[in-house]
Amino acid sequence: MNLYLPNKATITNIIEETPTIKTFVFKPASAFSFKTGQFIELTYPGIGEAPFTPSSDPNKKDAFEVTVMKVGKVTELFHKAKIGDTLGMRGPYGNGYPVDNFKDKELLIVGGGVGLAPLRSLIYALYNRINDFKKIVICYGARSPQDIVYKYLLEDFKKPKNVEFRLTVDRADNTWKGNVGIVTTLLDKLPLNIKQAIGVVCGPPIMMKFASLKLLELGFSPKNIHLSMEKNMSCGLGKCGHCRLGKYYICKDGPVFIFNDIKDMWDIWD
Amino acid sequence: MISKYLYIKNNDFPKLLDNLSADYRVFAPQETRKNYFWKEYKGAFQFSKYRTITPLRQFFTPAIEHIDNYFASNAKPGEKKPICMVGAKACDLGNALKMQDYVFLEGDTDNSYKQMREQNLIIASDCTAFKETCFCLALGNMPYPQELFDLNISPVDEGYLLEVGSKKGQETIASNKSFFSEASDTIVKQRENNRKITVEEFRCQIQPLEFPKDSLLNSLIKNGYGDKLWTEEALRCVECGACIMNCPTCHCFLLFDTKDENGYFKGRIWDGCQYKNFTRVAGGANALRLREQRLRNRYIKKFEFFPERIKLYACTGCGRCAESCPAKIDIRKIFKTLNENQNSAKK
Repeated sequence: MNLYLPNKATITNIIEETPTIKTFVFKPASAFSFKTGQFIELTYPGIGEAPFTPSSDPNKKDAFEVTVMKVGKVTELFHKAKIGDTLGMRGPYGNGYPVDNFKDKELLIVGGGVGLAPLRSLIYALYNRINDFKKIVICYGARSPQDIVYKYLLEDFKKPKNVEFRLTVDRADNTWKGNVGIVTTLLDKLPLNIKQAIGVVCGPPIMMKFASLKLLELGFSPKNIHLSMEKNMSCGLGKCGHCRLGKYYICKDGPVFIFNDIKDMWDIWD
Repeated sequence: MISKYLYIKNNDFPKLLDNLSADYRVFAPQETRKNYFWKEYKGAFQFSKYRTITPLRQFFTPAIEHIDNYFASNAKPGEKKPICMVGAKACDLGNALKMQDYVFLEGDTDNSYKQMREQNLIIASDCTAFKETCFCLALGNMPYPQELFDLNISPVDEGYLLEVGSKKGQETIASNKSFFSEASDTIVKQRENNRKITVEEFRCQIQPLEFPKDSLLNSLIKNGYGDKLWTEEALRCVECGACIMNCPTCHCFLLFDTKDENGYFKGRIWDGCQYKNFTRVAGGANALRLREQRLRNRYIKKFEFFPERIKLYACTGCGRCAESCPAKIDIRKIFKTLNENQNSAKK
């Protein structure tokens, strides 16, 4: 089988997260597994493909989920797809989160907008062995209350005793009673031993930039900050050249990078 | 046992190509107003003095390629006849082919590329002259092939000295024995002498360029990130992409999905970083949104990224980018200016 060709994956459920975001549950036609943080290329047959990090539990083998924001030609078509439709997928590609290295550590997870999708998969991977971690603080920011994804899961995310979940919105509406402000406003007074703590940041580039700078300011080591970088990966195999970042290809050497490894490169936030 | 050097007479060479036409589609450069273009060989062979306009890589990764159909396809893969290219020059082999091999064969193997690399036959040839934009010598490369060919021909008295460069080359000789005789020492010496003369003439052309020493190129690009030259040069860029399409070391491509009578298929088309949408993501963000960023990116990729990855410059000095650029953006001038700017900054 040619390396660039997709396999079939059939939609078995669709969850409307927000007016512009949907989560698709797929049943892959052939065996598929991924490590949390790795990405796949999802194909709309005959039209095009786009890279996504699955948002589901990597331990679940018979199905996987992808959370898609409607932003372009291909994602708009995904949003029009119905249960029972067959799309294409290939992957997984790249390196995921080094979960084993997080053992016995304290973790801070910072997510922005649809950036919670890859983090949701990480959260499952961590919760599957929750006692391996001393403490986990999850900070999530969305643009507005209606832009919050996985509303129905947030209570589950808060359940483990060693987890603290913080939530904020940039702009509140009349119904909102929680925090207001960008996600970095949640990062003060963290109940963590910051010098040794692990940071994981995922979200839009501008949010990643300011969250990372905030983490550094708080005293996180650049060697402990993990970033999910994104570019327009086309092949996913380090061949097509689109996603170069310094000496790396994001598809092959990432998409998860340790901040220390990329901090001296030009234009990492562009 | 076939010796490394053989001799073939001028009028036997087309006969060899005729024989090869049974197994290969034979391509050779054809001259049109002092430029050479790759054309399918139709019985008339003419030795090409210097490189073609377009790069050799088109025979390993075609500019547009139908990769394969997917999902419920009845299509049967068509048998592709391998290609024999006659007259490949050093600037299309050497580092150019090494880095294409690295991209398409290392890690996950691109089977279509692998197949073409294994099946195609490369008959290289010496340059006996050079174009105005040629500058391989300035990068320490020679205007005659030294590696990665199956056979190489060098014009000598009334024929060609033939050097065997691979097992496939040996097999080709073995099945066409009647055309070849052992090359005499005089003939071998004649080749050395011809090469020396070409290199000397070439050196005279290169000298006035004041091209920096090749060992400096990496640091000139590294330290030249904020140089004003990128803006000044890029202002003239019309984003035609000629520098990419004609470059022997460019390799970027875009996968695309479409339909034909056999159903959905995945295709591949050459892409490149001088195009505005090369790094554009859904939603509109674009890491290389300015022409100056894109121009600089091309040099970073060739003189920083590839040295970091495989310890070689992804440039062979063919000068095609300078030759084909309607805005006269010239790699030789870019390096000269970077060098001058960085030298004057030191003072």
